[in-house]
Amino acid sequence: MTTSLFLVQLINGLQYGLLLFLIASGLTLVFGVMGILNLAHGSMYMVGAYLAWYFVEHTGSFGVSAIISAIIALLIGIFVERTLIRQLYRRNHLDQVLLTIGMIFVFNALQGILWGNDPLGVSVPESLAGAIPLTDVLEYPVYRIFVALLCIGIAAVMYFMINKTRLGMLIRAGESNREMVECLGIDIRKLYTIVFAIGVMLAAVAGVAAAPMSSIVPGMGEHILITCFVVVVIGGMGSIKGAFVAALLVGLVDTFASVLVPQLSSMMIYILMAFILLLKPQGLFSS
Amino acid sequence: MNTQVSLDLEVMLETQGLCKYWGGLKALDDVSLQFYDKQLHGIVGPNGAGKSTLLNMLCGHYQPTRGSILHKGEAIESIRPWAFARRGIGRSFQKTNIYSGATCLENCCVAVQRRMGGNFNFLRSRYTQKVLDEIATEALEKVGLRHRRDVIASQISYGEQRQLEIAMVLATAPEVLLLDEPMAGMGHEESQLIIELLKKLRREYCIVLVEHDMDAVFELSDQLTVMVDGQHLTTGTVDQVREDTRVKEAYLGQGDEVF
Amino acid sequence: MLFNKRTERIFIWVFFPLALLMPLFLAENAFYISKMTSVMIFALFVMSLDYLVGRCGLITLGHAMFYGLGGYLFWMIAPEYEAVNFWVYTFYICMIASAVALVIGFLVLRTSGIYMIMITLAFAQMAFYFFSDSIEFGGNDGLFIYVKPETSIFGLSFFNLDDPVHFYYLCLLSLFNTLVFFRLLIRSRFGRVVDAIHENPGRTTALGYNIFLFRLMSYVIASALGAYAGYLFTLQYGFVNPSMLAWTTSGSALVMSILGGMGSIYGAILGTFVYEGLHYTLEHLTEHWMLFMGALIIAMVMVFKNGIAGYMEKLLEKRS
Repeated sequence: MTTSLFLVQLINGLQYGLLLFLIASGLTLVFGVMGILNLAHGSMYMVGAYLAWYFVEHTGSFGVSAIISAIIALLIGIFVERTLIRQLYRRNHLDQVLLTIGMIFVFNALQGILWGNDPLGVSVPESLAGAIPLTDVLEYPVYRIFVALLCIGIAAVMYFMINKTRLGMLIRAGESNREMVECLGIDIRKLYTIVFAIGVMLAAVAGVAAAPMSSIVPGMGEHILITCFVVVVIGGMGSIKGAFVAALLVGLVDTFASVLVPQLSSMMIYILMAFILLLKPQGLFSS
Repeated sequence: MNTQVSLDLEVMLETQGLCKYWGGLKALDDVSLQFYDKQLHGIVGPNGAGKSTLLNMLCGHYQPTRGSILHKGEAIESIRPWAFARRGIGRSFQKTNIYSGATCLENCCVAVQRRMGGNFNFLRSRYTQKVLDEIATEALEKVGLRHRRDVIASQISYGEQRQLEIAMVLATAPEVLLLDEPMAGMGHEESQLIIELLKKLRREYCIVLVEHDMDAVFELSDQLTVMVDGQHLTTGTVDQVREDTRVKEAYLGQGDEVF
Repeated sequence: MLFNKRTERIFIWVFFPLALLMPLFLAENAFYISKMTSVMIFALFVMSLDYLVGRCGLITLGHAMFYGLGGYLFWMIAPEYEAVNFWVYTFYICMIASAVALVIGFLVLRTSGIYMIMITLAFAQMAFYFFSDSIEFGGNDGLFIYVKPETSIFGLSFFNLDDPVHFYYLCLLSLFNTLVFFRLLIRSRFGRVVDAIHENPGRTTALGYNIFLFRLMSYVIASALGAYAGYLFTLQYGFVNPSMLAWTTSGSALVMSILGGMGSIYGAILGTFVYEGLHYTLEHLTEHWMLFMGALIIAMVMVFKNGIAGYMEKLLEKRS
């Protein structure tokens, strides 16, 4: 492998990893704080991508479309938490698995009804089109770099929120001790609604960001969900820091595997996961 | 310092310099004790003294950070948790820990079956072997629960559940009984039942009893160990411990008036 | 125990005679025979999952791995253009699947709860990509089985697998035998320990049981039967493809098991038939059947926690 090819793959891997982090962070946040395993998380990624397409078609502006999509996702998150997820806090994992499988069915059906099953595409916004040269012969698309920076930005904001703000303090408290938060006189249900909605929004934003980079197809949610599972399990369930490290790891392994060992490429991340779980059954950064 | 008197009995269980650290916290620090056969050894101490930690290590639930546990002279601290029970070290739990969906008989049957074999018999019905039922019934008889044999465990009273808990341990045919607060949460009369039961049992087994009810411990113990802050304070007969000024200090210091 | 013997007996006495007589009325209609057969095969698969999840408390999202494995194994070990003996190959496939389950179970059962859900899923995905990415195994299109096995024992052959009605009866017999086997297993002394572990693993360890061993054993048994179901599926349709081991197969089997009443074993048959029946009906009524199916699953979690078997028993209790 030449140096420049290596460089491109490295950036590709990091960029993919960062996007994975965006989705996986929502999954791990919801699990860490609320103890809910949300299998429908990938569906929100899909919904984000479809919403982005829909509003780009109608407003013509990718930026406007992104903002509207994020807000809609937030509302969906609040609605789903209020009506369904709320019933599950005291139930076992099995019920959670089932309910969220049911949600996947519903989201997939709605997607079919609203947008059909043909692949769709969103073009890269003009201001971010083009590419910057890496070496004499290689260049890299601006949009992908933009997405990577956006993910880093969101990760930084999350880090700040969790460590420095009151909401973050409550989230951390909620992770370690539910009763304590309730004793502080805080309505834990409100906290849960907020956390779930943020999780959903993160997945949808990732979907929006990914829309111009890949085609929008039915089933894209499930595929990314499983990859995010791998990230979350490797990182340690509920650990945001773990999700960050694991997402980059998975992004790099997946990208390089497809170049170096193409016949094993799709299996590689699962092999990685099995290997890490053998060494550390609770993941890298379990609390 | 060890004030423990040497008795002319077999040492069943022994700890040597046993330590358990949780991060920086020393839950148990350098505890060396000997437990004799056919004796009841009480362990008391204020909350957080490390009594339960000690018991949990004696039965293999926790791994010691340092130190060793000897059963009849053999080091057993690194064997698997389930192997403790097979060596005849049975335990009861502080919180009632039974199969509440099954009958009392079935609860004991699970305990008996372990040593009767046939655990990997996939096809023969569990209800056909009468020997198993009989031994299980005997265990129930011992704790006075025979009349509750066919009642679902969740339907009997709390005190009876505590008795069932002991019956299950007895059904494993142990040599050592580790009892973690068997009288916790019981009324006076129910406690009395357990005390009578332990009086019967203490000449048959090596019993280690962790208990908050001081009257009961004083009444029952042949040997008594006082623990404070994860450390061994003193061990001796009930009278010796009663006289010990350090014990009074330790308890008064905790603002816990028990003596 | 939640599920009582009487409801089960009623179900068995209604279901099996009906299933036994069905081909007499529908022999002309090949479609229904084949549909019924495939539902029974899947019910067998769901039953093995029901045992694992409902009786052993081991929640897995990767059971379909063994379903697919059953099919691929047959393709791998059977000669391509020669009819092999059905019973011999049933034995081979169950044995190989058991060996695989022994290794995977050894890894998977070290974890529990949510971690186990995820790691089983990961192994299943690994298997999925292994088969769907390799050219030797036909990739996404899968593989065809050209010759069906013959079923003679000591020269006597009761089933001709090329005849759909014969194959129907073979599957019915398999389903019945599996049900009986699980009933015996649950009542056995092994079953006693499994029940004890499900209800209170900590206590069972304290009584001296190595619970890992019992869980592993259960995992192996359920996996071998899961593979057997996959083998039957492959024989029915004459092909095997990666979608058999997709995680959605595990997911829908889980839904069927819950729908029937988790841990009741016979409920697996009920759940599978009701689910497939609804699926079939909705699919014909509307293109968007998934919406109703999804809503149904959600309603099930919210309202009918003990599935159909639980509901039936409540009804019977009220009457008596």
